[in-house]
Amino acid sequence: MSGQDTLRIVIAGHVDHGKSTLIGRLFYDTGSLPEERYREIERTCREQGRPFEFAYLMDALEEEREHNITIDTAQTFFKTSLRPYIIIDAPGHKEFLKNMITGAAAADAAILLVDGAEGVREQTRRHAYMLSLLGLRQVVVAVNKLDLVGFRRDRFEEVEEEIRGFLLSVGIVPAHVVPISAREGDNIATSSERTAWYSGLTLLGALDSFFPTRDIAGLPLRFPVQDIYVGDGKRVYAGRVESGSLRAGSRAVFSPSGKKAVVRSVEKWKQPALPEAHAGECVGVTFTEELFVERGEVLSEEGEAPLAVREISASLFWLGNEPLRLSSRYVLKLATSEVEAVLSAITERIDSSTLEVTERHANRVENLEVANVTFTLLHPIAADTFKENPRLGRFVVEVGEFVAGGGIVREVRSDRPGGATRVVRLTAMMNTEPDGNFIDLSREAGPVEFEVSPGFVARLGEGEKVAIRLCTADQLERISRLAFGYGLGMTFRRGSEGNRVVLFREGPVSQAATEEGFPVI
Amino acid sequence: MDHLDALENESIYIFREAQRKFKDLAMLWSIGKDSTTLLWLARKAFFGKVPFPLVHIDTGFKHPMMIEYRDRMAKEWEVDLIVARNEEAIRSGASPEKGRFACCNALKTQGLQQLLDRRGFKGIFLGIRRDEEGSRAKERIFSPRDKNFEWNYKDQPPELWDQFNTSFRPDTHVRIHPLLSWTELDIWEYIRREEIPVCSLYLSKDGKRYRSLGCVPCNFPLASGASTVDEIIEELKVTKTPERAGRAQDHEAAYMMQKLRSLGYP
Ligand SMILES: Nc1nc2c(ncn2[C@@H]2O[C@H](COP(=O)(O)OP(=O)(O)OP(=O)(O)O)[C@@H](O)[C@H]2O)c(=O)[nH]1
Ligand SMILES: [Mg+2]
Repeated sequence: MSGQDTLRIVIAGHVDHGKSTLIGRLFYDTGSLPEERYREIERTCREQGRPFEFAYLMDALEEEREHNITIDTAQTFFKTSLRPYIIIDAPGHKEFLKNMITGAAAADAAILLVDGAEGVREQTRRHAYMLSLLGLRQVVVAVNKLDLVGFRRDRFEEVEEEIRGFLLSVGIVPAHVVPISAREGDNIATSSERTAWYSGLTLLGALDSFFPTRDIAGLPLRFPVQDIYVGDGKRVYAGRVESGSLRAGSRAVFSPSGKKAVVRSVEKWKQPALPEAHAGECVGVTFTEELFVERGEVLSEEGEAPLAVREISASLFWLGNEPLRLSSRYVLKLATSEVEAVLSAITERIDSSTLEVTERHANRVENLEVANVTFTLLHPIAADTFKENPRLGRFVVEVGEFVAGGGIVREVRSDRPGGATRVVRLTAMMNTEPDGNFIDLSREAGPVEFEVSPGFVARLGEGEKVAIRLCTADQLERISRLAFGYGLGMTFRRGSEGNRVVLFREGPVSQAATEEGFPVI
Repeated sequence: MDHLDALENESIYIFREAQRKFKDLAMLWSIGKDSTTLLWLARKAFFGKVPFPLVHIDTGFKHPMMIEYRDRMAKEWEVDLIVARNEEAIRSGASPEKGRFACCNALKTQGLQQLLDRRGFKGIFLGIRRDEEGSRAKERIFSPRDKNFEWNYKDQPPELWDQFNTSFRPDTHVRIHPLLSWTELDIWEYIRREEIPVCSLYLSKDGKRYRSLGCVPCNFPLASGASTVDEIIEELKVTKTPERAGRAQDHEAAYMMQKLRSLGYP
């Protein structure tokens, strides 16, 4: 990865804790604030009879300056010697959570700001939870306004402990916790003498330690069809490679239709014969045979196709003014597919600020709440779990004209005879979440199938283990057959924490065994 | 992926998404560097053939060199060009001397609105960028406008994961902004890389050049010796002068741009 790739940073946190001020200060301290902008802010503040407000760089709307509050998210640009940055300001007021999410969804990393005098507040927690739901794992905490508490180390440590504790409960371990004063510029771009007790990085230094996340290495090909252009006697399938790479000449399969095809060409304007295209590239594709597939179908390599999904279990945040209701119909948009779905279960309703489960088996989800839900789709679409592939593992819910919520896919069930079967995919990419190699089937009373990728077996061959918590004896039977078929070892234990199987392998895996393909057990 | 490639792909994705979702699209071409880059990206997105018409809102105050460049490029690139003028306002003598706000609003905003009413366009591509000024920094990529043409900037719908809001009521339209993430410098570096021809008013003559093209009475050239694209890029890397410094309507009164834009100004 080159040091030149742009990094997108969102600044989140409770209202008035100093997010916009921090951005203004970051600009000022790195010499990125144009003189003219500085003078315009100075003039406005003078007219309003108040001291210089760095926040006005971002808070440009009249209403924002009048009430000294950020209403909508804004993006701005600056460069360090390392790389270009896009800085995304998010509003802290509860009412503008939809704008905060709009900003945060575009980010690679986040600064979570906490007022050192006030400590962790309602939106600090809610924003932290949202960052975690959006899949952001690169987080730096800035404890701000330390000038108000005399740069006291004990106060900083108190706040640090509180925020670390909360972040851990949403699966985030902050890369750094930095003591700052945004207004006065301590530890923003240069280390401050007023925090001599702190030897860590400045905020800018912390940002430079993060990575862009657009292209996740090692994921299989996913190319959702965006549109089909017919002309010059050919059909060109336009789309963006969401993950993996797409090669001319390769054998590929469309999901959910299952149609197979050989890629004839990968094209761009004036480049009709590219050898391949990588994640993030928008291209046109033609095939050796005429085929008719629609927008929403996803091209992948044979043996690595996403499931044709009929049921999705997800963690969802709700931004709609009207509640999300059980048994109602909604439109889900996932990559380029659009599907009608019935909300078939609301397993848990969660207060997004306290993380408290307020109700189980609920019949509605209110504005600002988070919930674990299940949608039954009216027709199958190609989808992955967020863990396997974030690009195909997230969706939005539309109500009327607008997006009213978003979700990340926890589990998918396909369309197999005998009811909805939960398909558990065992892949090499399993431990992308803090809970590591752990699969929980303890609430999965229905039929279960396992799909095993060669990478998974290879991974066990390197000494990794996978624990599976069970619900039924049928699951145990399937796992033992899987172990038998792939030459794996297993242990079974019945204990206070339920029934658990651990899968492992003694010795490395031969090349032949890893290329066997993807049998379903 | 290289920074310019990332921007290019993002813009192409937006173009293709809009083309798929809307039947009646048009693109505003102000003849400036941004909307010309936008046009170039549209050609890329659709393999050379732009599938929607281009609209130039002619206020009657445009520089003759802009008109010459417009007609030349339109012919060379084989685009369907619509020139729209608010004839009534022009006849009744709208001009900046009678107030810049009223003039911009009548000749540009209403000129556009009349065209939309006449032709029924449902989506308009615009080459605005977040780094131009404060209210543009808060724009969505797909930005809905109500039937009175107004932008409700205080209550914008959420937009995430490239799932754009594309189903709107019939009496509204949507502004589509494929260049929001680009900076002025990105635009020039892309123009250099792709060798996109630009209007010669951007290049220094007698120690002055335009950094932004607008109407003759309200737009002034800035002191600059940059007479090639390379020199412009070098200049931008060190300059402290903002891009729209030569644009009178931005500086006439506090929040003037925000107010113009809330009424439908690009
Ligand atoms: N003393 C002190 N005041 C600060 C500091 N940082 C910000 N402030 C003040 O806190 C107030 C709120 O700052 P903003 O930057 O507008 O807060 P915000 O987090 O962006 O607020 P919202 O966007 O509305 O959620 C302003 O008056 C700032 O001047 C700091 O480090 N020290
Ligand atoms: Mg703010």
